[in-house]
Amino acid sequence: MSWDFLLGQFALQFGLWWIILPAILLGIVVGILPGFSPQNTLIMLLPLTLAVPVEQAMAFMISLYCANHLAGGIPAILVKIPGSGGAAATTLDGYPMTQKGKAQQALVLCFTASVFGGLITTLATIALLPWLSQIGLHLRSVEMVVVMLFGLTLIAVIAAKDTLKALIAGFFGLLIGVIGTDHIYNTPRATFGFLELYDGVPLVPALIGLFAISEALVMIEEKMIVSASGRERALQARWSDTVEGLRLSLRKWWHIVWTSFVGLFIGVVPGAGASIAAFVAYQQSRLWSKHPELYGTGIPEGVIAPEAANNGVTSGTLVPTLALGVPGGTTAAVMMIVLQYHGMVMGPRLFASNPEVAYGVFISMAVAYVFMIFTILPLARYMSRVVLIETTYLAPVIILVTIVAAFGERQYLFDMSLALVFGVIGYIAHKTNYHVTGILIGILLGPLFEQYLVRALRISQGDLTVLFSSTLGNILWGFLVLSLVLPALKGYLRRTSA
Amino acid sequence: MRRSRGADLVIPALALGFAIYFFVSIADLAWEAKANGLVIGGVLVLLIAIQLVRIGLELGRGTSEFSFAELWEPRDALGKRLGMVAITVLFVATLHWSGLTLGLLAAMAAALWIMGARGKVLILLPLGVALAAYLLFVVLLKSDIPHGPFERLFS
Repeated sequence: MSWDFLLGQFALQFGLWWIILPAILLGIVVGILPGFSPQNTLIMLLPLTLAVPVEQAMAFMISLYCANHLAGGIPAILVKIPGSGGAAATTLDGYPMTQKGKAQQALVLCFTASVFGGLITTLATIALLPWLSQIGLHLRSVEMVVVMLFGLTLIAVIAAKDTLKALIAGFFGLLIGVIGTDHIYNTPRATFGFLELYDGVPLVPALIGLFAISEALVMIEEKMIVSASGRERALQARWSDTVEGLRLSLRKWWHIVWTSFVGLFIGVVPGAGASIAAFVAYQQSRLWSKHPELYGTGIPEGVIAPEAANNGVTSGTLVPTLALGVPGGTTAAVMMIVLQYHGMVMGPRLFASNPEVAYGVFISMAVAYVFMIFTILPLARYMSRVVLIETTYLAPVIILVTIVAAFGERQYLFDMSLALVFGVIGYIAHKTNYHVTGILIGILLGPLFEQYLVRALRISQGDLTVLFSSTLGNILWGFLVLSLVLPALKGYLRRTSA
Repeated sequence: MRRSRGADLVIPALALGFAIYFFVSIADLAWEAKANGLVIGGVLVLLIAIQLVRIGLELGRGTSEFSFAELWEPRDALGKRLGMVAITVLFVATLHWSGLTLGLLAAMAAALWIMGARGKVLILLPLGVALAAYLLFVVLLKSDIPHGPFERLFS
């Protein structure tokens, strides 16, 4: 692969601006609305993407996909409603920043972390593609059990005030996550007789209920979602706040880099997605921070880590898709359909036979991120005004529109009722300090954890020692133990030195 | 001031009820199907037991009181909150007959009224939201969301 080839590809992709820009705008709209996934949008637009040349189709799909990952953080920050599972961790510090009147800075941090995280990992992917494609082969079910446990440990960490409540919430979520048919025999478990639960608890209604509806039911108590001082700050929002957000991002550049690589490495593993990457990155960011006690109170690192990671996933997901022919996620599977329709054969040969498509996909992604920063950054100032809307109007719109959005993913009326049930559970959890994020982490990671665990145990015929049978797995176990012991040790040392 | 702890038992009670139902539903399944649920449910029951003992001790010592006030407070928002839930339940239950547009229009207007909105906004905001939802779900996405008189008239 020569420099001439690369530069030619970049020039070609920049020339597709007329496709990339509308795709970015569509991706942002779809990303903001919970219940609208990029894969569903791409499936609906298949007639369009199949009809145009493959380069244009890929530029459109890639831009929409990346913009979607970025936009999920916008409602997470402004009204504590994650647009997707990958943005759920962003609510932990993004929304508290909004409540302090720093919505604009939080949005800018979200945009820059997403764009630069996505851009850096995309360029790294182009450079390291042959090696990255091997990672997926080394991370098998045994290692993935430990990766899942990294995410699950966040349950205990998020609620420093009352660990017992956080653990009850987390394990309640994990048990809810086990609802549905099992992975080996397909026998239903705890489905309450509903066929709609055979595939497990759908993520979108759970997300909408636990975050959007419960939060709207709580926000009724106040006239505004921001404090009086926060309102004053929001009213005086200037371009200088956008600049301040940019300055904060520059100061935290290293944070963006390493958390985006967490996303890249997790994204490379087929099946693991943005949700797990965002939570693991948040947990690691908190672990290595000098002030972990500030996480959850609205600090920039708490927005940067999940956003950089969930955009780091975007390029990672495409690595196994192109290099191995194994789709890294549902969106990647849709892209694979389009590529195969255009006669591309997935796998290592793609890079030799059609390098303009194989590398072009990643170059298209890099170009989309460049366009994205110029498109979305100026909007932060205007988006942040949402917090000035009174809850009299905001709460009914949030509850009723998100209930309708719950229908979107699977087209079941049942999902609307389910969202309301989760809304009530979320409200009770919210009022009694059982962390809703803990419940959501459980619901998100529970099925994945079970899938990898049962697969590993099945291979070993029920022998638990299989979990400690690989070198890489044991290294990961070591890191996991370290990440659990280190905060306690740090706390002990701090107490003794005080 | 004594802490009110009755409300703290609602989530554990829900979780315990669900865990028991879960155990019953997996009783006859193969080990691969129930191993994960048994471990998670077992830990959950243990955690709930610890919480019960903790709250029981606090109540016994008189440092907490058995009250559910946390869930209702502040009282002036209770009516609005219950009203919003009731409207949402009615909206979902009647969606088959009313269709998305009319149902959303009525539910939004009722919800805004309960929240205290008066005047033109009671008509304009529901109208805008309902039309936007119609355009997005029915016209653009052609989703399977129930169609009512409005959708049939314009189909």
